[in-house]
Amino acid sequence: MANLDASSSDVTFKPKPSLPPPPNTVGAIGWIRKNLFSSPLNAFLTILSLYVIWVLVSNVFEWAILNAVWEAETRRECLDKVGLAGACWAGVTHWMKNFIYGRYPDAEVWRINLGFGILILWMAPFWFPRVTGKIAIGASAILISPFLLGYLFAGGEKGLFLQLMISIAITAFIFSWLHVLVCLSSGSTLRNVIVSATGFAAKPDNVQKYPVIALFVVLAVVVFALQGGWQLEEQNTNLWGGLFVTLVISGIGIAVSLPAGIVLALGRRSKMPIIRVFCVAFIELFRSVPLITVLFMAVTMVPLFLPEAINPVKIVQAIIAVCIFSSAYMAETVRGGLQAIPKGQYEAAQALGLSYWKMMTLIVMPQALKLMIPNIVGSFIGLLKDTTLVSIVGLYDLLLMLKAVSQNPQWNGIHTEPLFFGAVLYFVLCFIMSKYSQHLERTLGAGQVRK
Amino acid sequence: MKKLSLLGLGLGMLASLGVTAGEAAAQSTLDIVKQRGVLRCQVGTPAPGFYQLDEQGNWYGSDVAICRAIAAAIFDDPSKVEFQSVTSAVRFTAMANGESDVLSRTTTWTLFRDTQLGLDFTTVNFYDGQGFMVPKDTGIKSSLELKGATVCVLTGTTTELNLTDYSRTNNLDIQPVVFEDSNVRDDTFAKGGCDAITNDKSSLASTRAKFPNPGDYVVLPETISKEPLGPVVRQNDSQWMDIVKWTVFALVQAEEMGIDSSNVEAMAANPANPEMARMLGVEGDLNKGLGLEKDWVVRIIKHVGNYGEIYDEYMGEKGKFAIGIPREGSPNALWTKGGLMYSPPFR
Amino acid sequence: MAVVDRGASGQGSSLSEIVNDERYRSVFYQILVFAVVMWAGWYLFTNTAHNLEARGMSAGFGFLNSTAGFSISFSIIPYEAGDSYLWVYLVGITNTLLLSFISIIAATILGFFIGVLRLSKNWLVAQLASWYVEILRNTPLLLQILFWYLAVFAILPRPKQSFDVLGLGLFELNNRGFYFPAPVPGEFFGATMLTLLAAVIAAYAVAVWAKKRQNATGERFPAFWTGIGIIIGAPLLVFLATGSPLEWDIPELKGFNFQGGGSVPPAFCAVFIALVIYHACYIAEMVRAGILSVSHGQTEASYSLGLKPGLTLRLVIIPQAMRAIVPPLISNWMNVVKNSSLAIAVGFPDLVAVFMQTSLNQSGHAIEIVAMVMLFYMTVSLSISGALNYYNKLVQLKER
Repeated sequence: MANLDASSSDVTFKPKPSLPPPPNTVGAIGWIRKNLFSSPLNAFLTILSLYVIWVLVSNVFEWAILNAVWEAETRRECLDKVGLAGACWAGVTHWMKNFIYGRYPDAEVWRINLGFGILILWMAPFWFPRVTGKIAIGASAILISPFLLGYLFAGGEKGLFLQLMISIAITAFIFSWLHVLVCLSSGSTLRNVIVSATGFAAKPDNVQKYPVIALFVVLAVVVFALQGGWQLEEQNTNLWGGLFVTLVISGIGIAVSLPAGIVLALGRRSKMPIIRVFCVAFIELFRSVPLITVLFMAVTMVPLFLPEAINPVKIVQAIIAVCIFSSAYMAETVRGGLQAIPKGQYEAAQALGLSYWKMMTLIVMPQALKLMIPNIVGSFIGLLKDTTLVSIVGLYDLLLMLKAVSQNPQWNGIHTEPLFFGAVLYFVLCFIMSKYSQHLERTLGAGQVRK
Repeated sequence: MKKLSLLGLGLGMLASLGVTAGEAAAQSTLDIVKQRGVLRCQVGTPAPGFYQLDEQGNWYGSDVAICRAIAAAIFDDPSKVEFQSVTSAVRFTAMANGESDVLSRTTTWTLFRDTQLGLDFTTVNFYDGQGFMVPKDTGIKSSLELKGATVCVLTGTTTELNLTDYSRTNNLDIQPVVFEDSNVRDDTFAKGGCDAITNDKSSLASTRAKFPNPGDYVVLPETISKEPLGPVVRQNDSQWMDIVKWTVFALVQAEEMGIDSSNVEAMAANPANPEMARMLGVEGDLNKGLGLEKDWVVRIIKHVGNYGEIYDEYMGEKGKFAIGIPREGSPNALWTKGGLMYSPPFR
Repeated sequence: MAVVDRGASGQGSSLSEIVNDERYRSVFYQILVFAVVMWAGWYLFTNTAHNLEARGMSAGFGFLNSTAGFSISFSIIPYEAGDSYLWVYLVGITNTLLLSFISIIAATILGFFIGVLRLSKNWLVAQLASWYVEILRNTPLLLQILFWYLAVFAILPRPKQSFDVLGLGLFELNNRGFYFPAPVPGEFFGATMLTLLAAVIAAYAVAVWAKKRQNATGERFPAFWTGIGIIIGAPLLVFLATGSPLEWDIPELKGFNFQGGGSVPPAFCAVFIALVIYHACYIAEMVRAGILSVSHGQTEASYSLGLKPGLTLRLVIIPQAMRAIVPPLISNWMNVVKNSSLAIAVGFPDLVAVFMQTSLNQSGHAIEIVAMVMLFYMTVSLSISGALNYYNKLVQLKER
């Protein structure tokens, strides 16, 4: 072979180097031609789009940046400088603290920061791939953390029950993070470490859990003893406001609506007629009316429903309304996911002899929840946006706080700027959520894609 | 089951997030307030002059001062007030269902409201009246020239009804455009979305101050309605009603007698006449019927000042927060100066 | 062995058998739930009755007959300040229905259009469409309504400098609203409308007949064009025969504003545009997902059967895509109806504004009014979702 090659080398066909592609099909020009001007219609659409973008961007830029006033003490100063041609951002920066924390006292704001910090840390293990037992950590964050956070935010006297729950919450938090550290450093689990350290490794499986539980109880007792002397000044919920209240209301709404929605959806598909009727009635009733009416009902009528001795706090009424409303919505989302699971899956689970709850928790729900992620996140985004309506019943959420600035004599009438700021803030929050859901969809749904 | 879990959850949240329990039906409002240690006072969403928020999140304003005066009379501490800021749409239900102890927000006293909402109006602490504001360049000099005009108005208030009445009475065929948010209303007006704006004259003044060129707008001279504004309490608790009513009277009477926050303690130590002595609790026991301490008037004046001081601070033209409504010659002047501010005698 | 065992345990513990029997358990659960719900309902009812009495609040629907006494800036049915609260309720309902109805139609059309644009090959257009969807989906609708109202409709020219929309002097747009000629039917106009109704029925009958014939004989009949011809032609003939009994009332500038013709206030336009644009982006996503959900194999299969692309689209792709599009589309329509209640923010007198705000404030009957408002929204939503369930049954994949 080599010989042949060598002998024929002088007559080898040598192709000329291929010509470069026509200059208008490569590089920037080529890209533009291909993507923007491939046909007359496309060219027209491109020019129209460019014009729309230009009009929007230039106007917003002129108002929000070019003519804007950043330093001023009153709105009159802004008006004297630029009139209405430019934004008066000074009003927004002066009130920034109120937009975030409402009327919460300055000296106590650390409690809100600490609370949200704890929550983020508690949820953080979700993003560490090596950590095991994420479900338990997530469940503890959703179910137990509200007691600790609620106390941090509200303060005041602690009843015995609240003291107990706070201790459990702190212990659970410490345990979660010990576990995370063990996972990250050695790839083992906290349970294994405790079991081997106490010498229970040789014992049978069902005995191994005792040292873990014992350690948890001991730690909880220590925390309980320590927290006894610790008390925070009471902060009335009237003082809560701004983004803080928006996040609290929508956060509780989200945490409650997912489990409640699952239960309602299962009830709706249940074979027991009475339960089904009640679930259908509940879902259809609250899904078919606007949130405003539910909020109104909660605020005006809940005090009439309850015995005279109980005088509920307004934020609690609003939270109940939001929870009821979002549970009904979530139930429909979950039902959609359940319907998408092929009947074969149910039949296979039943053929294996699984009970109803095992079938649901081990076979159906994991698949259904995966399918539902985009819709669930969509509902969460909707909920975050819908909480703006609590301002109509007089809760100082972000929107009402943004509006309150305009009634202050120094900033009399300033309201476009705060609302613009609010829109941007909402956009950033919701956009992050929706991008994250798309990411989850891709990573979790990787096995689902059919090619 | 689901409903049950939700209900349980709701009740659980109620229990954990702080419920004020233990207010039996038979208790009087004063007992409840004393037991709670704080007065629950309802104001509206911020309105210049009457109730406003500052950057530190504190409430101030003339209606706020009334609440502080009541708290001062009961607790000798004007800060023992929990302000509940409620939109006008739910103000009466929030009162009727027991959420607030007293409603002190620009609420017009009408027969209907006094009799059919389970509420009682106590007395008047500010006399307002509805007027119109138009751009100066329209050349309109009187509200009777507004034939066929579009007028911007806020919803849920008596102004909406007054506007309709006025239009029907004078055959003006006015088209109302109703808003929920005063800023949206004012922007609409400033951009020419309506020919005139109508509201209580007190708030027209602060609306005008919002615009880039306040001089371009005029408030028309006519006052088309009577708007007596005052604190409101729940029906059937006459002791509590007396406390609120006489707190306002004490503010007016103190001004009439020349007692103010700077000299009240000196006056109490050395009262100039028997009536002053009775009022300040030096002589007699006028406080008994109210269920308050002897020096309740001293406490009020010491902490919040008299009516004139409050007016100057928040409504008039002198104070730092004042919105610039002249008092001279208005119904809000003392009766001795031709106004309507008049307190029954303290005896 | 096995037989003996079962017999023994069955006799020994009939109680545990009952406890573990699924049927008994389900009956027990249901009775329990029923009892708890009934108890809760009774508890709430007695509390409410007691509280109403203790607080001196009157309950009942008597107030509906008393005079409302306030004006409403826009109403389809005639309204005067002297009318009753019941009439106010009806005015609010008609306003809400009008706003939602035309918003639903426009949002659906725009949504389909943008959904197709998002599949466009033009990079810039696809990007713009996707940013449009992202921005609108991620900001509260309330803020969007305020934006449209304050930034667009409030800065339109004043009546004297009205913007003449088509340059014909017929459609005027200014900051008081959009003015258009209103039809004034004459004496015999009813005859035209009756003919129109008859024509629609006739066209439908032709279509049914044509389909039957095609199924039986395979011969085609241009039923579509025949139908159009009947629907347009017959009423037109009658209209001309009765002497064109329809006149137009054209708006004219008088005093402060235009008089005559029909008009809608700027708040209406702002809420309409905001609702349409906001919901169109959700509909666009549904349309995109629906079209993408039809497998490409379907297209290939229908090509291999010899169907042309147009027919493939009409007979194969769209019917299947609709199955995925319609359920979320209809619940989106329900959302349009519910979201129209935000119109109050810019002063459009919808049901919530005139009834749950103004009337509630004037009369103080909170429970009755909120209940009536909820009843209306429930009726609308339930009839829409009833229609959806019916449609779903028609097109659902038939499972075993």
